[in-house]
Order: sequence, then structure tokens, then C-alpha cells
Amino acid sequence: MPFFQRRIHLITGKGGVGRTTVTAALARACARHHRTLLLEIGDPGEGPSPLARLFGQEHLPSEPAQLEPGLFGARLWAPAGHEGFLRKTLPGGALISAALRSRALSRFLIAAPSFQEMGVFYHLLMLLEQKPTFDQVILDMPATGHALALTGLPAVLLRLIPRGPIATAIKAGQAYMNDPAKADAWLVTLPEKLPVSEALELMVGLRETSMTVGGVFLNRVPEDGFGPEETAALQAWLVERPVQGEAAFGRILDARTAADRLRAQAPDLPVISLPEVPEHPARALVAPLALAVSK
Amino acid sequence: MSLMAHHRLLVCCGAGGVGKTTTAAALALAAARSGRRVLVVTIDPSRRLAETLGVDRHPDAPVALSAERLSALGIRAPGHLSAWMLDPRKVSDDVVKGFSKTPAEAERLLNNPIYKNLSEMVAGMQEYTAVEALHGFVKDDHYDLVVLDTPPSRDAMRFLDAPERVGGFLDRRIFSLFVPGEGGFIRRATQALITRVMDAAFGEQTRTDLQQFLGLFGMLLDHLNRNQSEIEAFLKTPQVGFLLVTGPAREALDEAFHFAERTRTLGLPVSGYVLNRSLASRAELPLPEVPHGASPVLRKAIERLRPHAEAELATARGHGALADQLARRGPVYVLPHLATGASELEALDRLAVVFGAAG
Repeated sequence: MPFFQRRIHLITGKGGVGRTTVTAALARACARHHRTLLLEIGDPGEGPSPLARLFGQEHLPSEPAQLEPGLFGARLWAPAGHEGFLRKTLPGGALISAALRSRALSRFLIAAPSFQEMGVFYHLLMLLEQKPTFDQVILDMPATGHALALTGLPAVLLRLIPRGPIATAIKAGQAYMNDPAKADAWLVTLPEKLPVSEALELMVGLRETSMTVGGVFLNRVPEDGFGPEETAALQAWLVERPVQGEAAFGRILDARTAADRLRAQAPDLPVISLPEVPEHPARALVAPLALAVSK
Repeated sequence: MSLMAHHRLLVCCGAGGVGKTTTAAALALAAARSGRRVLVVTIDPSRRLAETLGVDRHPDAPVALSAERLSALGIRAPGHLSAWMLDPRKVSDDVVKGFSKTPAEAERLLNNPIYKNLSEMVAGMQEYTAVEALHGFVKDDHYDLVVLDTPPSRDAMRFLDAPERVGGFLDRRIFSLFVPGEGGFIRRATQALITRVMDAAFGEQTRTDLQQFLGLFGMLLDHLNRNQSEIEAFLKTPQVGFLLVTGPAREALDEAFHFAERTRTLGLPVSGYVLNRSLASRAELPLPEVPHGASPVLRKAIERLRPHAEAELATARGHGALADQLARRGPVYVLPHLATGASELEALDRLAVVFGAAG
């Protein structure tokens, strides 16, 4: 299915694979032709966000604000979601204003197990409904903990909160996120053995949470121009001959194996190779990404 | 001060993907080879590492490596190595079982829907379990040295305030408002407000589950807080060292400096930096030259390799500069980039040699 037919894309990947950089470049690529919203999940108390830093900011704002032409950014955070659902679900203005005024209640909702996550999820649902509509929504999934935390969250929340207005909202959100016509998850990984194994594991996990997997970004793929005969000749020559370039050649061979393995194990998915870029990859990758996702 | 001989606890911190788990394992291996009784604790580790050490992925307790395994790893008595790959869920259940007043109370808590979904949901639970486990081992004199591999985190210190954050919901000042009880007018009014909001937004069932959960878990509060302050005090002693693990990249180093800063701000001892996957030791290697009588194919291949080789030389020199930069801040342990295809055992062995030589 063409990339832009789905509206929401969750970008997942383990630490160190360049997920944040790819996410930023992908959002820029989307913003060329679509009104795009870039989201991160973050706590302002945690120190500057690496994603926001790529846009010259400490944090993405709590309400969508324009970062670049066509590209808006926002931080999902629990208190915004809490306020949203209190406004929506509480009967009567008096109770709403009492609830919003109560500092004890807001502290309670942040601290109570699972209510923080629920606030984040609800904030996401609110932004999806916001007008004017964002055509494309790119969400940088947190590296810490499990990437599955958010995709598996609705199911967990519904076990905890089986009934009531919040449960209804969560069910609607879950149906939206699990709709293969609307949302998918992309994996960012490196062309090396272990990262590919981890990506394949993550793919299984995502599918278990009923999330559609859109494809894989194979990041930092080294340039490779060696034909089969050259490869064989060089391999033989390098045995017992420590020279510069040996490690680079090893990485090239690894990258081939990794790409073959991904394509063999996930034959139905697009695997998009992204080149190694020494300078400003969050900008340099925009063009190749725009080309790749427009196919 | 020597890294392995004088510490009782070494904590490996760093961002995800820098090789913390392998570093922790190599450090433990080197210490065991030097005759210490070592336990390495990792959370959510790779299957590879579990296989290399020959232990289960999630055993109930630390597993001592078998005599054959020890000798295969080059560890001789009195040196000894145990490993524990923590299952956060299990550690949390053990805390509940160990500190509930009666088995029935523990059972009620273990079956509470909030608790049952807790470890998957509450951020920091993994860090919290690490602290809980750590506390046990530090008190237990069974090991000379514990090496802890912290869970990946943007903030290396997260696991230190994890009890506070996970225990945030145990804060009586907040939660007594929710658990029915005595109180003055304002308190009762706040209780009533929270109850009404909860019932309206989440339904009565969730509200009662949460009340039961908070009531039961609240009883563990004192125990958990006491542990935390004991651990905090212990972490500030010279027996403890924090090692900041980083990869050979500018941004990774900045991250490590940020961690170091935070560590010191918290009054905790930084023992040094580990620069992982460094090509620096390869800077002396020659560039590839086409030999006399090379076949046209080989000539072409070597010429094609040239730019890669030149880039690699520049990278290797850059890594040397990064190590120098770290050295201005504290002791640096440079772990070499390993050839692709090296087995986990070979990798551990080579890294352990670096720590062994450093003492």
C-alpha cells in the first residue's frame, strides 16, 4: 500500500540505530506535499529531546506549532490528555472546573499506575481529531522500555478500565491504530546481524499487538560497488593481511547479509536502504526518503 | 584506584546500543579471572550473552557458572562468576510475596488487575527492580563484586530515582486522598471529588480495583523507602563506581559527559569512561597497496577499497582523539572494534583482556 494512504506512522527502533534522525528526515519528506505533524513522547523534566534538537529546539511544544513550512511538531504528554478527557467525560461544568482546579487530582492522575500512559494515548487521539486536519502524522516512539508499550497500550488499558467513557474512547483509538488502512509502524535498524535479529523480533511483537507493519528502514548502509569476482578476490587477499579498509569491507559484507536476511524473512514488506551520511543526516536523508516513500 | 580490585559494585551506564551489556560481562569476566567472586546482573539481556555464559535467560536466582564453563572462560579458583538475567516481573512478585503481612494479602495484590498489568506499564519498573535486586546482593556477602548493567535509558541516573518515581503512586499524601479514611473537611471534599471524577471517567470497577491496589501496595511503602535510602547511602561510598559506556561518536560522547555530570551532581562516584568499538588501535595499519602481479580483478577490487581504507584511517585517528578527550575527564578504557563474525565468547575474551591489563 502506498505510504501516504495511511495517515499515522509510528517509527520504532532500538537505541543507537538512528531512529530519531530517520524520523526527522521522514517528517520533512512528508511535509513537502502534506500537512504533517511530527510527535514525540516526552517529559520536559528529562532534559532536551534529541528530536527537538534537530529542529533547533529544546522540546517540541505541547500544542502543535509550525517547525518548518508544512511541518508541525508537538510533544505528547499526559496532563494534556488528562485535561482533555476530564473536559469530555465529566458531567456538568461545575465538576469539570473543580476537577481542573484540583492540584491533588492532577498529581494523582500522573502518579497513579497506568493513568499517565492513558493520558499520553488520549492526547494522541485528541491531536488526530484536531482541525485543520493533519494529513500525515509521524510519531517517534520512545527508545526506552518497549516500543510495544504504546501499541500494546490500548489492550492493557482496556483490561484495567473495561467500562465507562474512557474505555469507549480507548476502544475507538485502538480500532483506528489497528486499522491497516490508517496506521502502520516502521522499523529502523542497522545492516548488521544483531540489529536485524532485534528488528525481526520487534516485527513479531508489533503484529501480536495487531499493529500493521509498514516496512523497514535499513539505516547507514555503506556504499558497495564490489562485484562478485572482486568480492571473492578481495576476501582471499585480505586473509592474514591486516590493512586499512578491512573493517569497512567487513561491514559491506555484513550489510549484504543483513539486507538479504530481512528481505527473506519479510518478503511482503518494503525494505528501504538509507545511505551512510556523515554530515547532517536529518537533512541529507530527506531527498532519498521522499523518493522512497512516494513509490 | 584500580577498577576491579577495590570496588564492591560497578554500575555500567549509557545510552541504548553502546554495548553496555557486553561491557558489563567483560568486566565481570576480567574480575573473576583476577580471583574475585563476581556476580553480573543484567536486565532484558540478549540471548547471545545468556548462551555464552551458559545460563538461562530468566532464572529464579543468580546462577553460578559450572566448573567447565569457568575453565572454558579462563577463570580459576578462588575466582568465580555468577550471572543473573533479571525478569522484572519476577523480582516485583518476590517483593510482594516477601513483604506482605499474610499469604492471602500477597495473593490479593498479585491478582489485582492494576498490579497484574503494572510491570508492563509503569515507566521505571525495570529500573526499580534493578535497585531492589541490587540491594539484596550488596547486603549478601556472597560476592566480592557485583557488576550491574543498567537498562538503556536517556538518563543514566533514572534507575536511581526509580523507586521514587515508581513509588510515586505510593506517596501517601497523594493516595491517602483516594483510599477511604478519616480526615478533615478539605480532605474529605478532595476524596469525594477524586471518587466522583474516577467513577464518571473510568467507571466504578476501575475505581475499586485501584483503591484495593493502593491500599495493599501502600503497605509495602515503608519497606521500599527504607531500602532506597540504604542504597542511596551505599552508592555514595568509595566501594561503588559508575562507569560511563559510550560509542565512538561525537554525540555519544556528549551524552556520556551529560551522564557524568548528572552522576556527580547526585554525589555519586564516576570511575571512568569506557570507549567501546574503537578503531583507534588500527590507526597504525597500512593502506592497501596493489601487489606486483595482481590479477586485473584484484587490482580493481583493491582500488575500489582504497577510498574506504582512507576513510577508515581518518576514523581510526578520530577515535584516538575521542579517547584523548575522554582521558582529560577521567580514566578511559578503550575497547577495540571487533572483526565481524567474532563469536560472543571471543568478543568477551578480547574485551576482558583490556580490563585485565588495566587492573
